[in-house]
Amino acid sequence: MNILTDELADRLAAEYVLGTLSGGARRRFEALLPAHPALRRAVAGWELRLLPMASKSEPVPPAPRVWTGIERQLGWRAAAQASPWRLRFWQAFATFATVAAVVLGTVPRLEPVAAPMIVVLHATQGSETIVAGVSPDRRQLSIQPLQKVALTSDRSLELWALKKDGPPASLGVIAADRLTAIHQKSLPRDTKGLAVSLEPLGGSPTGAPTGPVLFVGELTL
Amino acid sequence: MTAAALRRDDELETRLADWLRRSALGDRQAFRQLYEATAPRLLGVVAQLVGRGALAEDLLQDVYVRIWKAAGQYRAGAGSPMAWMAAAARYRAIDHLRSRGARPEVAIADLPSRAGVDDADDDPTQRMADPGPGPAQRVQARSEAEAVQGCLGTLQSSQQQSISLAYYQGLSHGEIAEHLGAPLGSVKTWVRRGLIALKACLERCGWAA
Repeated sequence: MNILTDELADRLAAEYVLGTLSGGARRRFEALLPAHPALRRAVAGWELRLLPMASKSEPVPPAPRVWTGIERQLGWRAAAQASPWRLRFWQAFATFATVAAVVLGTVPRLEPVAAPMIVVLHATQGSETIVAGVSPDRRQLSIQPLQKVALTSDRSLELWALKKDGPPASLGVIAADRLTAIHQKSLPRDTKGLAVSLEPLGGSPTGAPTGPVLFVGELTL
Repeated sequence: MTAAALRRDDELETRLADWLRRSALGDRQAFRQLYEATAPRLLGVVAQLVGRGALAEDLLQDVYVRIWKAAGQYRAGAGSPMAWMAAAARYRAIDHLRSRGARPEVAIADLPSRAGVDDADDDPTQRMADPGPGPAQRVQARSEAEAVQGCLGTLQSSQQQSISLAYYQGLSHGEIAEHLGAPLGSVKTWVRRGLIALKACLERCGWAA
């Protein structure tokens, strides 16, 4: 700030904010701003001082095209179609729908159909997700990774019922890249969650998880 | 719009600052909320300088694109977010006026003249509109808007007129001189001294930005 006295800085800031600093002087002043905090403070002070004068202007609601124009100018409009978030949402939605339909489709329609319970299993490391649906009678279960789980050819994913007491009960091996439907007698009564572990090809040789737990989700009833 | 609508509303300012901060991090939802909350005011600011219509809306679009890109430069505590955004809107409109060299005809009679033209008779700022500079200590402002209007009223009329023409019409020194039929040097002095007096008056009112 050696080049500008405080008084001069304040005067330039005032005329900049008012708008009377113009032409080359205005451009040079703007160029100075990023490197001069004192100048920026002076400008902020004048912006605040003169703001009440803006209260004389009537608010004018902008046409909707202004917002769409902003989105287009920022490249959001074109990008919106293929944004990863959107894609993931629809993938997830489709998966939920499939999982729910598979479960419901196997339920005898003797009584009003209750909605399947959806369990979301989150990766213990990373952001991948597996979605599972459990039928109201707890005899049908379908499960599908939202993203393909990377596996070497000598490994399998195994699904486990986590019980309140006792060791996890195996529900079988599941596919890493598509929906797996599991029919069984019934999910253990006291199942509080589901987990997926990495096991040797074909599943755990011991009946208990041997590899790392990759996904975990809570069952809420 | 009433003066109160643009006064520093702490709750709104806090929300605006939060939306700005989140916009700086790329939160489009927050930016949309920021837009919804401020666009009519900023369009009002732009329209005052360039008139209502498609041009004002085009400029407003630019303003928000700049706000999105510059959101990271706004730092909480550095000033009022509303003042920061309103200033961005004014700068864009002024840049347009300067680049075009064209502007709507200004009728001096249309200008907000002395303080508080829309205000009720009991407005204390009205009493400050006496000819000649009044004692600034008499400005009993209930809000910042009243303080500024009141202090404007204490300026010499040539100073007040010059500042009003610059602020409300976006006129340059040269254009003000033309409109007032006064020498350019005089106008520059009026503006400079008027701003110094305005700041001093606001500080005496206990409202120092």
